[in-house]
Amino acid sequence: MIDLLSGYAIFSLSTVLVFVALATLLHLQFGLAGIVNFGVVGFWGLGMYAFGILLLNFQLPYFVALILAVAIVALVAFVLGWVVLDLDSQAQLVATLAFAAVIADLVTTEKWLTKGVVGLGTVPHPFGGAQSALWLLLILLVLTVGVIVYARLLGRSPFGRLLAAIRDNEVLARNLGKDTSRAKLIFFTLTSAGMGLFGALSAPVRQFLTPDLLGPGVTFSVWIALIVGGKRWPLGGLLGVLLTIFVFDFLIETYLRVPSDWAQIIPILKLMLYGVTLVLVLLFRPFGLLGDRRQPTSHL
Amino acid sequence: MSNNQITLKGVKKSYGGRVVSDIADLALGRHGVEGLIGPNGAGKTTLMSLITGKISADAGEILFFENGNRHDISGKKLDAVARLGLVRTNQRIQDFESLGILDSMLLSVVQPAQETVLGLFAETALRQQAHPAINRYLEAFRFSDPGGYALSAGEKKLLDIIRCLLLKPKFLLMDEPTVGLPQDQTDKVMEVVREAARDDGMSVVIIEHDLDLIWNVCEYIHFMADGRIMAQGTPDEVRTSTMVREKYMGEGDA
Ligand SMILES: Nc1ncnc2c1ncn2[C@@H]1O[C@H](COP(=O)(O)OP(=O)(O)OP(=O)(O)O)[C@@H](O)[C@H]1O
Ligand SMILES: [Mg+2]
Repeated sequence: MIDLLSGYAIFSLSTVLVFVALATLLHLQFGLAGIVNFGVVGFWGLGMYAFGILLLNFQLPYFVALILAVAIVALVAFVLGWVVLDLDSQAQLVATLAFAAVIADLVTTEKWLTKGVVGLGTVPHPFGGAQSALWLLLILLVLTVGVIVYARLLGRSPFGRLLAAIRDNEVLARNLGKDTSRAKLIFFTLTSAGMGLFGALSAPVRQFLTPDLLGPGVTFSVWIALIVGGKRWPLGGLLGVLLTIFVFDFLIETYLRVPSDWAQIIPILKLMLYGVTLVLVLLFRPFGLLGDRRQPTSHL
Repeated sequence: MSNNQITLKGVKKSYGGRVVSDIADLALGRHGVEGLIGPNGAGKTTLMSLITGKISADAGEILFFENGNRHDISGKKLDAVARLGLVRTNQRIQDFESLGILDSMLLSVVQPAQETVLGLFAETALRQQAHPAINRYLEAFRFSDPGGYALSAGEKKLLDIIRCLLLKPKFLLMDEPTVGLPQDQTDKVMEVVREAARDDGMSVVIIEHDLDLIWNVCEYIHFMADGRIMAQGTPDEVRTSTMVREKYMGEGDA
């Protein structure tokens, strides 16, 4: 059991699970509700750093720090959502992208709090012992499955139908008396807080937190995975992450023995392949590999 | 007869300096089913959008009275106005692209308490509760694939009207409801609307260019041109008004 997965494999699998969760949460925000969130890394990174700071700088108990970190992300998402959710999708894109850039900047510059590029200290695993990393992996697995199950159930619930209606034609939904601003704000806050939760749990995965973790690459990877897999499906994020991040960050980097002088080319190759995949999918299957819309309700 | 009313005072709207709506004093809903007629570009659709809050007026006061309650709806948001029981059907086709016919209807029927982030299992109860109302409309109106999507323009128009009726509004504004519908479906729509007006006290204002329908269905008519209400009265009074003839029916479509 101990040697079933090497330390690095556990780390990579944990990372992959986090990406699956993020992509599924993005499915909820974008695929279901039509909210354009290009600040995924902002919510994730805020959760990660808030948790690390509360734990290390303020010495709060582990789960208190975790809950508080998620609450902070929820609050920030609420305020940001309040401002941008009723704007058009371009404005949402720019605002969320800018938000993520601000978070990355603050983490770099506010050294008194984050220690800047030097890096915050080491965030411990939630449980100690020899299997601590495996426990964390298990927690991430359970939570990620939870998010997918939630997405699946929500898609077939009245609130999911409301979100689809808002995405399709918001004015018409309002015409039917739907408080669309409220629905979007609640949902955006909840799902962004979810991103924050997975950010907080990424802190012990990464252990040593530095600002370069918060680059826009995280957001782009999540978006590409979701678009490739199928933005309209609860399993779209999972499929997309398996085909992109899993193949590169897990299979290739863990098991493929590449000559050392190739090592620098792999990340560049990876980005190129991501790009090519995205273009091909958008050209031939614009709704992603899983395809277009769901079956309508056919009887009561 | 219904006791719901909309009153407008000094309501103005202009686009780029051109006044498209200038309503000095207007009361809608005093006479059960009313008509609103006038030439293309008269400002009829704009008037409805002003009332429901889809667009906001530059000036003026709009009040909504229902069952003895008085609501100032000037500047109120579209969805807030709809929740008071004042809704409109659309002239131009409006649809939820990814919702099937039944989904569209369920969206209308659902109560806010069932429509929550954690209400993951509310669907079964909703369907049971919505069953009678939805079935009634499915029996009354023909859809080529009732278990699928609204396909033709006519079906989408019909669905738009049914969605509004399922809300059981107190006041229904209908913007050219019959365009694109076959005659028998038009008759059916009018039958259902008149029934709701009679039995549930729903007030109705219908915009139409189909004047036969207006003369047949409406008890009172408002005539509009150039953003203003120019004449009001019973169908007979309006039909025989020389001004209405000159400004509208003289154009050849009567
Ligand atoms: N958003 C807008 N911007 C500029 N002008 C507008 C706008 N909306 C409406 N108008 C103008 O206002 C006038 C009234 O339009 P409206 O749609 O209310 O007329 P209508 O009486 O409903 O006509 P129809 O019978 O053809 O539907 C028209 O001249 C139209 O061009
Ligand atoms: Mg019109």
